[in-house]
Amino acid sequence: MHIPDAFIPIPQAAVYWIIALIFIALSLRWARNEMRDEKVPLVAVLAAGIFAIQAINIPIPWGTSGHMMGAALAAIVLGSPFAAVFVLTLVLIVQGVLFGDGGITVMGANILNMGVIGGFVGYYSYRGICMGIKNPYPAAFIAGWLSLFVAALITAVEMAIAGTFPLEIGLVTMGLYHAVIGVIEGGITAVALYLIFTARPDLLSETKGVSS
Amino acid sequence: MIEDLFFLEKQTYKKSFIHDLDARVKIIVAFAAIVAMVAVPYSPLVFPVALVFLVFLLLLWGLSRLSPIVYLQRLAVILPFGLFIILVQVFVQNPYYEVFTPILDLPLGIHVYAESIEFAGILLLKFLVSVSFIILLSSTTRMQDLLEGAGRMGLPAEFTLTLGMMIRYLFVFGYMYRKINESLATRCFQASDSRLPYRYRLRTLAFTIGTLFIRSYEQGERTYLAMLCRGYGRESHLYIRNKPLFRSDRIFLVGGLFVVIATPVLLFVHSLHIL
Repeated sequence: MHIPDAFIPIPQAAVYWIIALIFIALSLRWARNEMRDEKVPLVAVLAAGIFAIQAINIPIPWGTSGHMMGAALAAIVLGSPFAAVFVLTLVLIVQGVLFGDGGITVMGANILNMGVIGGFVGYYSYRGICMGIKNPYPAAFIAGWLSLFVAALITAVEMAIAGTFPLEIGLVTMGLYHAVIGVIEGGITAVALYLIFTARPDLLSETKGVSS
Repeated sequence: MIEDLFFLEKQTYKKSFIHDLDARVKIIVAFAAIVAMVAVPYSPLVFPVALVFLVFLLLLWGLSRLSPIVYLQRLAVILPFGLFIILVQVFVQNPYYEVFTPILDLPLGIHVYAESIEFAGILLLKFLVSVSFIILLSSTTRMQDLLEGAGRMGLPAEFTLTLGMMIRYLFVFGYMYRKINESLATRCFQASDSRLPYRYRLRTLAFTIGTLFIRSYEQGERTYLAMLCRGYGRESHLYIRNKPLFRSDRIFLVGGLFVVIATPVLLFVHSLHIL
């Protein structure tokens, strides 16, 4: 889902950068104010961990493999969508500048899609569903699935606006592929959440909706 | 990707004229080249501009004394997603042309258009130039130097500190990732092994990911506490000492910027004269 350079013209890429920068500033403010005792270094180290998590190959039934995005998981465990924005921004800077995965001019769009959309959709769908069904794990599954699926659809729309990929084909291919990968993102988000809750329930103490 | 971390770091510790340049200069030239390449409109003007940029890049890669295999290996990892989008272009129309000439008719009403092939070529060259400059930059500049260079150019202190911490711990998690894979392999677990039940494979991977999450969170807690003991607080920042630019850095900066800015401008003016 990492859009490379050249697939979005500079003026549009600049707009996405501006939107992303607003959210990055808000996430910095969140890290300074909401996390107790200036825990910014903690989130930085966690970002390195998410980078490793994204490297783990997850098999998909028909033979290919996918990777976790981790936005929903980070947002749910840290109790704020801004956590996902913060963590994914760091991860995307490193991926873009060091590994060429995702472009420089389009980094704003990538941060917007994966960090902002992934984080906000993941977090608020989790909170909303939790209020309804009172069980965090199906909620985490749906939140993980939705975070990836919606982010993929937005990516397809951005590429269509840029004129580098037709809307219908983009929505169908990106939508279908990520609907399948999303099942894995959702499944792993739910199981990882279960594991974290079992091993370190204190981490989730601030996340409403998780009950023992 | 994290597997390539150690390979990448090894390349940056070699010695050459390009390796020795100040990180600021390399960041500016590489980013300027990418922005200039992306800023060229989707038109045939991209072809000569990309050609000059690729020759420039070839020259710089030669000066870096790195093997061409390093470049090709890194390129092979990056290309797939971009190539997929570029290949699809051949079969579809785009808003950058008004008339489309079919040159090949395929079953199911699929056509290959001459203009779409040209557009795919434009995208491919722009993409190739952009990723090549990133490969050059990250293969010849140490991560810490990149960070300090960005800090000297005004990257906010919040980012230099957090990115610095992240880069440092990338290697810790790189080793951890390797160890996890080795321990899974010693238990004969392979994620792609279809003889194992799918649900079992997913559960094992999910627990691995959950464990990695907890381990990184706990590492973060330990690091944070250790930093607190050493006086970390709201005003803490990464100390970056001043560093002057040498003459060679200045010459490279001016020369590099001249190539990446003058090339598209001059070729654009030239194309206006032809018209």
